[in-house]
Amino acid sequence: MKRTSLGELEELILLIIAVIKDEAYGVPITQMLEKETGRTVDFSTIHTTLKRLEEKGFVKSAMGGATEERGGRRKRYFTITTFGYKALRESQEIRMRLWSLVPLKMNVKSI
Amino acid sequence: MKREPNSYAPPAWAEALLRWRCPPEVLEEVEGDLRELYTYWSENFGEREAQRRYIISAVKLQRPFLSSRKTASHPLILKDMINHYLTTALRNITRSKSFSVINIAGLAFGLACSLVILLWVLDEVNVDKFHANDKVLYRVYLKQLYDGQVRADYNTPASLPAELKKAVPEIERATGFVKYFRLSLQDDIYESFSVGDTVVHKMKGSRAEPDFFSMFSYKLLYGKAETALSSPVSLCISKKMAEMFFGSASAAMGRAVRFDGRKDLLVTGVFEDVPFNSSDQFDYLMNWDDWVLENPFKQSWGHFGTSSYLQLRPDADPVMVEAKIKDFLRKYLTENDSWMSSNKRIELGLQPYSDQYLYSTFEEGRPVSGRILYVKLFIGVGAFILVIACINFMNLATARSIKRAKEVGVRKVVGSSRVHLIYQFMGEAILITFFAVLLSLLVVFLLLPAFNLLTTKQITIPLQQPVFYLFLLGLIGVTGIVAGSYPALFLSSLQPVRILKGSFQFNFWTAFFRKGLVVFQFVLSMLLLISTVVISRQTDYVQNKNLGYDRENVLYIPIEGELISKYPLFREEASRLSGVKMVDRSSQFPHAMSFRLDAVEWDGRDGNSVINFALSSVGYDFVKTMDLEIVEGRAFDRNIKSDSTGFLANEEAIRQMGFKDPVGKQISVFGKKGTIVGVLRDFHTNTLHQAIDPLVLDVKEHLDFGTILVRTEKGRTKEAIAGIENLYKHLNPEHAFNYTFMDERYGLLYKSEQIVSKLSNVFALLAIAISCLGLLGLAIFSAEQRRKELSIRKVLGASIGNIVMKFSKDFLTLVVIALTIAVPLAWLMMTDWLSQFAYRIELAWWIFALAGVIAIMISMLTIGAQAVKSAFENPVRNLRSE
Repeated sequence: MKRTSLGELEELILLIIAVIKDEAYGVPITQMLEKETGRTVDFSTIHTTLKRLEEKGFVKSAMGGATEERGGRRKRYFTITTFGYKALRESQEIRMRLWSLVPLKMNVKSI
Repeated sequence: MKREPNSYAPPAWAEALLRWRCPPEVLEEVEGDLRELYTYWSENFGEREAQRRYIISAVKLQRPFLSSRKTASHPLILKDMINHYLTTALRNITRSKSFSVINIAGLAFGLACSLVILLWVLDEVNVDKFHANDKVLYRVYLKQLYDGQVRADYNTPASLPAELKKAVPEIERATGFVKYFRLSLQDDIYESFSVGDTVVHKMKGSRAEPDFFSMFSYKLLYGKAETALSSPVSLCISKKMAEMFFGSASAAMGRAVRFDGRKDLLVTGVFEDVPFNSSDQFDYLMNWDDWVLENPFKQSWGHFGTSSYLQLRPDADPVMVEAKIKDFLRKYLTENDSWMSSNKRIELGLQPYSDQYLYSTFEEGRPVSGRILYVKLFIGVGAFILVIACINFMNLATARSIKRAKEVGVRKVVGSSRVHLIYQFMGEAILITFFAVLLSLLVVFLLLPAFNLLTTKQITIPLQQPVFYLFLLGLIGVTGIVAGSYPALFLSSLQPVRILKGSFQFNFWTAFFRKGLVVFQFVLSMLLLISTVVISRQTDYVQNKNLGYDRENVLYIPIEGELISKYPLFREEASRLSGVKMVDRSSQFPHAMSFRLDAVEWDGRDGNSVINFALSSVGYDFVKTMDLEIVEGRAFDRNIKSDSTGFLANEEAIRQMGFKDPVGKQISVFGKKGTIVGVLRDFHTNTLHQAIDPLVLDVKEHLDFGTILVRTEKGRTKEAIAGIENLYKHLNPEHAFNYTFMDERYGLLYKSEQIVSKLSNVFALLAIAISCLGLLGLAIFSAEQRRKELSIRKVLGASIGNIVMKFSKDFLTLVVIALTIAVPLAWLMMTDWLSQFAYRIELAWWIFALAGVIAIMISMLTIGAQAVKSAFENPVRNLRSE
């Protein structure tokens, strides 16, 4: 079977989940993405992406932790799986390798 | 502007929106997350922005955007699959071209037939339905009850409508209408009109009362509906007639028109040409009362000769009104005892106006049948043909399934569900039906002109009406699903292991079902075939039966205008013209004497019995002109003075009168006394639907109505007509010369039978052709299935003849089974149809035998080719693999 690829948004969200670790659910993920990238992304897009990541096996999720400010509704916590971690590493390695091949004295203007 | 975290809450309606169609399994987390985010957004970007973002997310989380992963597959894959199905379907169609052609063409012809029939049926059913008052318009019919019998028709007294309107409050409007001037001459009314000195035109028209245009929706272009017919000199004409005389409709109003060369009328109304789907056709209408005044006998309550149309109040109950008017005529007819006596009664009945076109034949005194029989018949035929075409499609598709079984096997192994396979095959069937419908539209388009000519209709494909497209869609859907159901259900049920292992065989029940379909199909075709043979033979019989007189080379010319007084001169002059053999006259058309009355008296007659005699007044040379046979006595003789009170009677009349030695016996007709001078051999005085009536003829050469009979010499008719036209113009200049041929008029009596006969010929041929396509498909299928078996037989020494026999036998058995079912059914159906004719052909055994032989021959030809092809195949080729 073909390796499932990691889209850009997927990669960012996966990284954020890895960063937040135990407290990763919809709200902090949205907030962090907004803060770190400076762009606004619909919540629905993030929701769909999270679902997709779970389907592909990069994250797993569990329900829990109802609070008052959510009107007593539970959160869905996401944690990164080993497979997801490996995929992140791989993606980073590819970038690193490619960066190492970029000539050092590159004239940016000539591109 | 910081507030307590809890004070920010998304509006209730936005939350409701989210809950509306958000997949329930994620609703809880999503709602919670969005609530938290709402607070966060409100604090950072303001509540307005928070609301905006909340709503965007809420909308995007709705189901169509957020597909639930648990049920649907990826949208991209769905699209790919549809593409794939389409490709497979198209490849299958193009791969076996002959098969697809058989399939699509068969279905297309079936559909085209059904479409044409449907258009015809719609046209028939919609006749007279265009009147805005349709629901409250009624036609009166009149029942005569005597001797335990009931005779009913639409002829009523001329004063009836006006009198009914006065007496019955539920009747809002009423009008009389004239269909024929003389019941004895059931002839459409054509009268002469002229403007100035030169233009004379004969137009078709009638008389009606002032309510007419308010009751019916014939559109008046000029003139007022209430008053257009109220003056004695009123004349309402159609747009066509106005253009004929005055160039345009607007120029016609108020102008004078000379009628019949004797009376000046004023145009008081111009109406839009009467639409084709109206059962009353007329180009002009004239004042009613004036016409009744001119014809005093129409004033009598005992004279039944015109139609009465009524418009009831919207709240009136027609059943109540009918009960009210049932005995209405009693008080008007009591003065004349013979109308209402202990054993004779006259009653009135009501029929919705728009029903009278389809239901105009009376049984037991009620209008219960008529053209509706043909409508039903053709609906049946249309359904038959469609079913045959669908069965065909099923059979061919199943036959091909052997080729596609492997495809199904592979699909199933790869993971296709049964539902998907059903969709696929149904879809293919619908696709093919779609092509067939397109093709059938083309066929209908090409066929309609011929069909219109045959049925004298103006049917077009209703391309402007959205309903028509809906109907086509429905037809595609239903036909596709019906035709595709069997292959879809059957193929999808196959077990992949068995198919792919190669041990795939149809079991007994599938074979039984498929053979059952073929038998059913052939039963239907045989029914059509036998009916066709019987109907066309009966039509032939009717057309060619010896009627007892010679109907060839006889012209009818109406007696009107100055011809009434100048008839003797006309007769003398015309007889001398070259090409003319003989000239005579009759008060009734001799080929269709529909006027019958109990008006003959003789000594010793039983006063209580009712015998309706056909009565006609003729000229002296009638017997010779008609070429009738005299059994006893002699014909009328101009030179014997007493013959002016003489009578001729036919054998049937003599039999009913009970005379042993009729010549010289005294009888009286309408009070006119005289002796019987001769007895005529029975000849047919009416359609062959009816038995020969007792007939009494007398001589009257001065009547102001009737028809002139001109017998021309064979082959010189043209010459004779030219001479007569000249003479006519000279003697009767105010009238346009027109004539008809007796044999043509006779043919018109059987118009509907002729149409049915021609149509059933076409439909039967088509049905058989389509059935044979089905048989061909099955033969191909069987040849494919039994290839190895037949090869082995050949290797073991079977001759070509053996194999062909072996192969054909199975199919012929089916055809023979179909025959044994179809023959008794057809016999019943045809006996029923023939029973409406008093004179009819025998249902000879050979008709059925012929149909059987034709069916077997055609199927032999169809199968034979396949059989021979299989027999000649090289067995090595078929047995090599494996």
